[in-house]
Amino acid sequence: MIPEDPDLRRAMDHRSGSPSPEFRVRLHRVLSDGRPATNWLPALAVATVIALSVASVGVLLAARNLAHPSHGGPVSAARTASPSPLPTESPVALPTQTFLSAPSRDIVWAFVDYRLLFRSRDRGQTWERRQLPAPESAAGRLVFTFTDSDNGWALLAVNPATQCQAEGETIWHTSDGAVTWHQLQTSGIAEAQCKQFIAFVDPKDGFLTAWDDNSPPTIYRTSDGGVTWKPSRLPDPPGFKTEGGGFTLHAQEVVRPGNVLLVTAYGMQESGGEGYVFRSIDGGAAWTYAANIPNSAIAVAFVTESRWLQVIIPGQSVETTDAGKSWHSYASDYGQAAPVSPQVVFGDASVGYATVRGSIQRTEDGGLHWTMIKTPGVAQPG
Amino acid sequence: MSDDGPRLLERAKAGDGQAFEELLTPVLEVAFRLAMTMLNDRGAAEDVVQDAALKAWRKLDRVRPDAPLRPWFLAIVANECRSARRGRWWRVLRFPDLRSTAAVVNMEERMDLATALEGLEPAHLLVLSLYYHLDLPIGEVARVLHCSEGAARVRIHRALAALRPAMTAELDA
Repeated sequence: MIPEDPDLRRAMDHRSGSPSPEFRVRLHRVLSDGRPATNWLPALAVATVIALSVASVGVLLAARNLAHPSHGGPVSAARTASPSPLPTESPVALPTQTFLSAPSRDIVWAFVDYRLLFRSRDRGQTWERRQLPAPESAAGRLVFTFTDSDNGWALLAVNPATQCQAEGETIWHTSDGAVTWHQLQTSGIAEAQCKQFIAFVDPKDGFLTAWDDNSPPTIYRTSDGGVTWKPSRLPDPPGFKTEGGGFTLHAQEVVRPGNVLLVTAYGMQESGGEGYVFRSIDGGAAWTYAANIPNSAIAVAFVTESRWLQVIIPGQSVETTDAGKSWHSYASDYGQAAPVSPQVVFGDASVGYATVRGSIQRTEDGGLHWTMIKTPGVAQPG
Repeated sequence: MSDDGPRLLERAKAGDGQAFEELLTPVLEVAFRLAMTMLNDRGAAEDVVQDAALKAWRKLDRVRPDAPLRPWFLAIVANECRSARRGRWWRVLRFPDLRSTAAVVNMEERMDLATALEGLEPAHLLVLSLYYHLDLPIGEVARVLHCSEGAARVRIHRALAALRPAMTAELDA
């Protein structure tokens, strides 16, 4: 017997709503574009798995037949994903999800709709489709980081346990602009905690953040391109107490906008959400609290070591020029359709990119003015 | 599906957008309400319903003419909601989602039901939304969840237990 629960019904009604007329119009327009083509990616992934499995068995049999002793082999290239022709796909419909990595002012990478990777070498004017580290990308959460037009890493997080007590991961590297990917044979990353972000600040030095519901976040660091990793923990900042049951910090992407490393971390306390910036001056071995974030629901963009922004909508953006000691209103003309936090990344002190729900904007004056640029792989609005 | 359903279905499968919209219209409201309860954000709910609509159209060949469209489409919406909650910025932006069920239990006396819902695991939230909010019969809940009716009942009880342990204790007494 399932109990009646009018209170629960009321709570859910309060949480719900009806589709707006504007949304109905938008949906009508999207459907008017025609029936989308079949997505062949899952089938392609399965086919690739089968092909790799067959190839692996073949290699193993050949090795056994030849009685060829192992020589250890390189630490990387345990598996290689090479480009394969992709069937024609229909364009992604906006809004979608786009994630950006901007290793320099001209080079920007975009991961669109969780399945399409693009590179631009001219600040987003033109885009080239690149390869994913298939086929595993279909089975987990994929996060990218790039240090230039050729070198990049992909974190594939798989099978999170309850309360993120554990999660598996594989890390892939490309040195040819995501034409091919090689899985790294890593050491030093514990099974404990969910793996959230990977970020490389140069081709050797990288960071991987991990969290769970019961303990402080871990920031792993590597100085050999992602093969060996060492952990550090973020300390509780002033006013924040890590407690079991979800009252923990979540570290975001590590950045190096100068000589120090910076990372934001967000967490929940009984009083509400809080956000903090941490810094490290020893390559990530030790992290210290640096500042509070004024708007804890909005991501921080680190333009330089001391100049940070929170761009929201005109009239609400804020800036600090003293590394978070003081914040003031900032007259950015950044605007967007949805009242959610953009992901903002800067390639240098002037050129940056922001994305919300798939749309991308670019600034070339440090965040003051923004212009919309094309999102690769998406259908152009009619 | 109405009498016109099979004909609409064939036209929609052939790429007729108007026919697909006519199929979708009766389930759009309930799909949007499900997305809203799952995500508690209008913009995100609109995004997932739009994505779900496109995916449903793409997969329409799998629907039999005599099969009910609503549970099939709601299952797609539920999947899209799960994907959205796994998205990169969700945990940054939706602080209440950082709380686990354990946190809700710890704070039960201080938090009202709405706040407790915000911290509920997505699987629990989904089954409660289907049954209590959308008022789907248990058979349809089971079809959306791809499980038996008995299993659907068990999931509802487990979700209630996760939401309010004291309530389950009362029921068991």
